Amino acid sequence: MTPLFALLFDRLDERLALRSPSRKVANKVFPHHWSFLLGEVALFSLVVLVATGIFLTMFYRPSTQSTVYTGSLELYQGRAVPAAFESILRLSHDIPGGLLFRRIHRGASHLFIAASVLHMLRIVLTGAFRRPREINYQLGLGLLTFAFMAGFTGYSLPYDSLAGTGIRIAYSELLSFPFIGDRMAFWVFGGDFPTGDVIPRFFVFHVLLLPAIILGAVGLHLLLVGRQRHTQFPARGIDGHAMILGKPLWPAQFAESATLILWLGGLLTAAAVFIPWSDVSLLGPYVPGEVGNNAQPDWFLFWVDGALRIFPPFEVRLPGVVISGPFVAGILLPGAVFTGLALYPFLERRVYGLRGDWHVLQNPLDIPLRAGVALGTFSFVLLLSAAATNDILSRLTGIPIEDVLLFFRVTCLVVPPLLGLGIASYARRRLRARGRVVARDEREAVRSYVPEPHGPTAAPPPQQAAPASPVRPD
Amino acid sequence: MTSPGQPPHDPDADPKAELRVIAAETPPDSTLNDSFVVLSAGGAAVLAVVFAVALLAGGPLPLYGGALAAGLLLLAVAVRRYFTDRFPDVEAVEPRAIPGAEAAENEPLADVAPVGPRRTFLKRFLLAAGAVFGVGIAVPPIASLGPAPRSTLRTTAWREGRRLVTTDGVPVRAADIAEGGLASLWPEGAVGEERAAVVLLRLSDPPRPPTVAAWVVAPGLVAYSKVCTHAGCPVALYRERDNALFCPCHQSTFDPSRGAVPTFGPAARALPQLPLGVDADGFLVALGDFQAPVGPAFD
Repeated sequence: MTPLFALLFDRLDERLALRSPSRKVANKVFPHHWSFLLGEVALFSLVVLVATGIFLTMFYRPSTQSTVYTGSLELYQGRAVPAAFESILRLSHDIPGGLLFRRIHRGASHLFIAASVLHMLRIVLTGAFRRPREINYQLGLGLLTFAFMAGFTGYSLPYDSLAGTGIRIAYSELLSFPFIGDRMAFWVFGGDFPTGDVIPRFFVFHVLLLPAIILGAVGLHLLLVGRQRHTQFPARGIDGHAMILGKPLWPAQFAESATLILWLGGLLTAAAVFIPWSDVSLLGPYVPGEVGNNAQPDWFLFWVDGALRIFPPFEVRLPGVVISGPFVAGILLPGAVFTGLALYPFLERRVYGLRGDWHVLQNPLDIPLRAGVALGTFSFVLLLSAAATNDILSRLTGIPIEDVLLFFRVTCLVVPPLLGLGIASYARRRLRARGRVVARDEREAVRSYVPEPHGPTAAPPPQQAAPASPVRPD
Repeated sequence: MTSPGQPPHDPDADPKAELRVIAAETPPDSTLNDSFVVLSAGGAAVLAVVFAVALLAGGPLPLYGGALAAGLLLLAVAVRRYFTDRFPDVEAVEPRAIPGAEAAENEPLADVAPVGPRRTFLKRFLLAAGAVFGVGIAVPPIASLGPAPRSTLRTTAWREGRRLVTTDGVPVRAADIAEGGLASLWPEGAVGEERAAVVLLRLSDPPRPPTVAAWVVAPGLVAYSKVCTHAGCPVALYRERDNALFCPCHQSTFDPSRGAVPTFGPAARALPQLPLGVDADGFLVALGDFQAPVGPAFD
């Protein structure tokens, strides 16, 4: 530590008593496995999103008022377009660095959601959601839904033709709620679509409400990870139920994280140079009543769009209410997937009669139910996502859209259950072949992971004091 | 907890904060690595200057973007090499806190803050009043967020005698639409009022029921709501060869020669037909509003 920094730290320590807690934090042990970085990638993408988002907010105009564009882009010179769209054109083509930061923001949003989804997959497959971490797992699922909303509102803000179409579908989805749908839609949109309130409100959601919720929930998510400690993969000779094996926050984990955020920043910037994503000048502004071909949402909503496409015509009129296809496919079905995921930890615990706390991660094939549910659910979501491209697939392959639709209707119903049952039965046979059963208790389970006999404390004795600490003299 | 009175470098201040190292590998001394750190960190700083100058001087995006990307990547390399070389690679273990053990350390709160005799009714009454208060002040502002829908979604701007106009506000005559042609039209004075949009088609064969024949302007000119009854996208495409109105969002397809009933895809209801007529000046007009609600289901 440099003398100046040491002096500053001493002065602060005298006032805030920082030394002991900061050493505790610096000595926190982080298990090492590449899959543990997925959550960090999501976190750092969020940092990039906030940083670039602040810059973009300086220029964005949340209004649909018609405005004449007078910037340097030839195509729109002198044309009247919605103010939101005009401000995006100006930001992208007339503000130095504007296009770069906009593209980095866009890339980081894709990465944020992709890394969150993969992180969730890791948690589900390895059983990191088990007691005592069910609450943090559910908090994570909630975070993912808010990330979807942030992604969707961000996609909507430029008010290009795809954005307007997406907003219209979201409005229809709100309308589809039985009985209260019309009121709900009017509350969110401030009246019948397209009111002048849509874009100002989506702006508030995207830059204020959702970031506040996401940042708060991320803080709580991390606080709970710290409080409950990390899970870890089984390690030879270590009783993972009682001890965590890994590298301390300082310096190893710090070096890793600092490197990671720089790598991510570099890759996102490089991607922004090479990939012209969301070039809205090619799409044109939203005009009510008009839409082009290839009307797809962002990739993370493909599964919902796919469900809307392949769900058969359905509209049941009961006294006073209507249950419609868009409600079942666009609201109930995604809701059921997320609710199912959120409740799954309790199902697994009950089915296998599990006891106590669990900290050691597993191969999903060791738990047949989990292998089946995970593969069933994720193949279902992937097939639905593929169904959202049925018009493009039909055009590319020359197969009539009718046949493509039928194909997806059948495969979405048949393939996920078959895959789920298939892998569950494979996992069961695999366990039997190895002469093992699903352990009910982590102590029991750890014995099968740790072949060497170890003492009752099950931990190697502490050998020496820390060679590295926040007060390490230079 | 360290207090200002204690020596600042006491390693036994909090034994729980100590690291239990089980393996440590010290990296070998290497001047090569030092040069590597110097070069990459220096390169990153130079690239940051390139970024700054290019951005301020109005240079092209690939130049300043590329400099920023390369600078960040080089800085990552520098930080990585710096840490790898300088610190031993430590593997350590940390005991998991056992639930219950920690709780015992904390004093029970009741001893800190004494409570008087329990008054269950008062507590419950206060909680109930608080709940009523919370709901009472939170709900009305939500209701203020939008007008009550009432009949808004059941009506459109179409009235008897209102002309059909293009997006530019130009009224349309029957002869303006060629056979097999299609136009996207609005009520005069309500261009862009999304739910009122109609598609006007000239069919080659006279439409069959359930198309209302009285609302067809000869020969074969018929208008339907343009708002898909599935999720509200504009039904924007017309395939004349198989007589299909097609929604590009979810591929709902309607048959305009048979009252625009859905023939394929997820839509469950026909597109409402606009009562169509011709006024004294020969312009196409509505004979009234749609007879059925337009767009997706809403109650």
